Amino acid sequence: MKNLELRYVAHVTALSGCLVESHQTRASSIRDLVKELDGRYRGFQELFVNPETGSLNLNAMIYYSAPNEVPITVVDLDQPIVDGGTLTFW
Amino acid sequence: MTVRNNSSQTILWIDLSLRKTRLETLPSDWTGKYLGCRGVTARLLFDEVPAGTDPLGPDNVLFFGTGPLDGLPVGMGRISIACKSPRGTVAEGSSGGFFGPELRRAGVDYVAIRGQAEKPVYLYIQDGKVEIRDARHLWGLMTDEVDAALRRELVDPDTQFRYIGPAAENLVHASPIFGNLNASGGRAGCGQVMGSKRLKAIAVRGTSGIRVADYDGFVQAYKVLRQRLDLATSRDMWTPVWSTYGAPVLARLFPDLGNLMTRNAQEMSWDYDKAMRISSEPYLDRYVTKAKACWCCPWPACQKLHRIESGRYAGFKGGNYWAAQPVVFGSLIDNDDLELLLVLSGLCNRHGLDVFHVGYTLAWAMECFENGLLTTADTDGLELRFGCPDKDGLIDLVGKIARREGFGNLLALGCAEASKIVGQGSERFCLTVKGQELEGIPQRNLYMVALGIAVSEVGPDHTRWYPPYPCNPSLISKEELADLGVDLDLRLAFQGRNPEQKGRLLRWFTISRAVVESMPSCVFLVRDTLGLDMRPWWNLFNAATGIGLEYEAFITAGERLMNLDRAFNIREGYRRADDRPPTRMATEDVPGFGYPRLAPEIFEPMLDEYYEANGWSVTTSIPTAGKLQALGLDDVIGQFSALGIEVEA
Repeated sequence: MKNLELRYVAHVTALSGCLVESHQTRASSIRDLVKELDGRYRGFQELFVNPETGSLNLNAMIYYSAPNEVPITVVDLDQPIVDGGTLTFW
Repeated sequence: MTVRNNSSQTILWIDLSLRKTRLETLPSDWTGKYLGCRGVTARLLFDEVPAGTDPLGPDNVLFFGTGPLDGLPVGMGRISIACKSPRGTVAEGSSGGFFGPELRRAGVDYVAIRGQAEKPVYLYIQDGKVEIRDARHLWGLMTDEVDAALRRELVDPDTQFRYIGPAAENLVHASPIFGNLNASGGRAGCGQVMGSKRLKAIAVRGTSGIRVADYDGFVQAYKVLRQRLDLATSRDMWTPVWSTYGAPVLARLFPDLGNLMTRNAQEMSWDYDKAMRISSEPYLDRYVTKAKACWCCPWPACQKLHRIESGRYAGFKGGNYWAAQPVVFGSLIDNDDLELLLVLSGLCNRHGLDVFHVGYTLAWAMECFENGLLTTADTDGLELRFGCPDKDGLIDLVGKIARREGFGNLLALGCAEASKIVGQGSERFCLTVKGQELEGIPQRNLYMVALGIAVSEVGPDHTRWYPPYPCNPSLISKEELADLGVDLDLRLAFQGRNPEQKGRLLRWFTISRAVVESMPSCVFLVRDTLGLDMRPWWNLFNAATGIGLEYEAFITAGERLMNLDRAFNIREGYRRADDRPPTRMATEDVPGFGYPRLAPEIFEPMLDEYYEANGWSVTTSIPTAGKLQALGLDDVIGQFSALGIEVEA
């Protein structure tokens, strides 16, 4: 299991109901994590993943940082995630 | 009802010393050469305010400009306010609201004010007629008080206003001009200049209609624009955030990236819990009472009104919590008390102060205090420390700055002048360019921003190149870009800390944003591909005016304006050496992130590229004769020659 910190910004908080939360997951990539979060927050996947191309929606953004590293802007949803990582969804 | 077209533009000249006014039509070819708004005020400023004019004397001219698209859904109520800054540079700023459309409906596109009134006055413009009225009863009033007083006096609820607060009356550094309570423009000191003319306010009411030349073409072009901006269809990552929660979410997005200027930019990160306390989400949850967009803007979240219901600031009302305030009254002074932040920001609006001036000057003073360069003997007893332990003292200090009382009189000079007086190395803590305080966007992680801030003719002003990134490279092909005349590698341009392409990228951004502000429209709506593909804007302009301007000529108008602004500063003695980032950014690495300082080996090549791309001398930054001739600005060469300014071929 991986422990992650998930941060939700602006309109995304309308789905999550919170600004930040700790999350335990077996997801190995951001794509898997988004799918998992869609089970908890209906509409989450639609907000971030283009159903036609499977890539990140052009009007959405995710920052990901591994422990002690500066966040990167996510280009590839298959980006692996590691224990202790932080993701910001907006 | 009178109906106005958009192909010709009028100007109302007012001499406050002579109490004379006249309404004229501008030359018919100006709409094609300068478009309108910022383009026309740049031309007027260059022509009417010669080199060496005393900025606070009667010969400086204060311009208010609308443009062919003002009063139409695209104009967003933008106006250009321009004059010579008290610092000697061009002073020009854009402001939204409803004043611009009302001025056009009154039959006036530009107002030019010279001279100085003997006693305080205000102008009342109604359907092309103007009265210079006594304003002694308004002098000294806060901005919200003068707004209310004029509304009572003029009764008609559709009258629109621009006014100054006590800070501008007292000639406080960088004071802007206000309207609609919280909308400000001209932070480069246009309010100071208005104060020096003893002009408290302008009231305007008009009843004309505004007709577009090609209605069907306009509607079609407008639909394309809306597709790029609407929540469901925009292909821009910022659209959902900006159009729902607004810009203060940057407080949460910036710290982890090393982008949030904290404790006077000694640090570029901030505790995340602190950032959450001042972000948009708690602001909307607890304080917002109403969304209040500018004229026809599709993004209601941009401007909001708020009220603090309980606690020590209960009953305090204000508006416009933007990206700037979480920086200047939040991280920059290490304050995570959102209510204190709203009060400090609101008091600046009421006194008519510039929030950037006050925020950065407070942060400078705090760093001086913590380093022993200022003591309580200097600060009227105030413990001026980061973290804001004396909240009431800070609140009092804002009023003292506006009134130029005690320690406030030093801060009223602005950071650059105050640091000259304090000396002892305090200049190192001063975050200014050309004597004007920075804004909220970081530089050592975004090189184009660093360059844009350094070269801006008005001093730091993000609207010159906003937003600071090109569109997603997947939206526009290299071939399409080349067809549009944009010679850029978007992949390189996107890389924040890679100096390559930044000079050319900035050149394109400053030209294209100059075009947008000359139509006018709002640069905050440059989303999706609208910053690279200017055809939707061009189609709107041609449909509105009917002048059939070629695309290349449309873009060239933006370049002409840029060169006029540069030429104005050159005439005043500004050169390459003045296009520099603040000392801190040039000499200190970003702690904790490994981002290097903007050392000469990083900064100078970007500056060279920018000047070369513009056709300006790399040595002096003076536009070359070839460039000025190509833009039809031969008169500028003549002026340079008369002043002994050497122009390269």
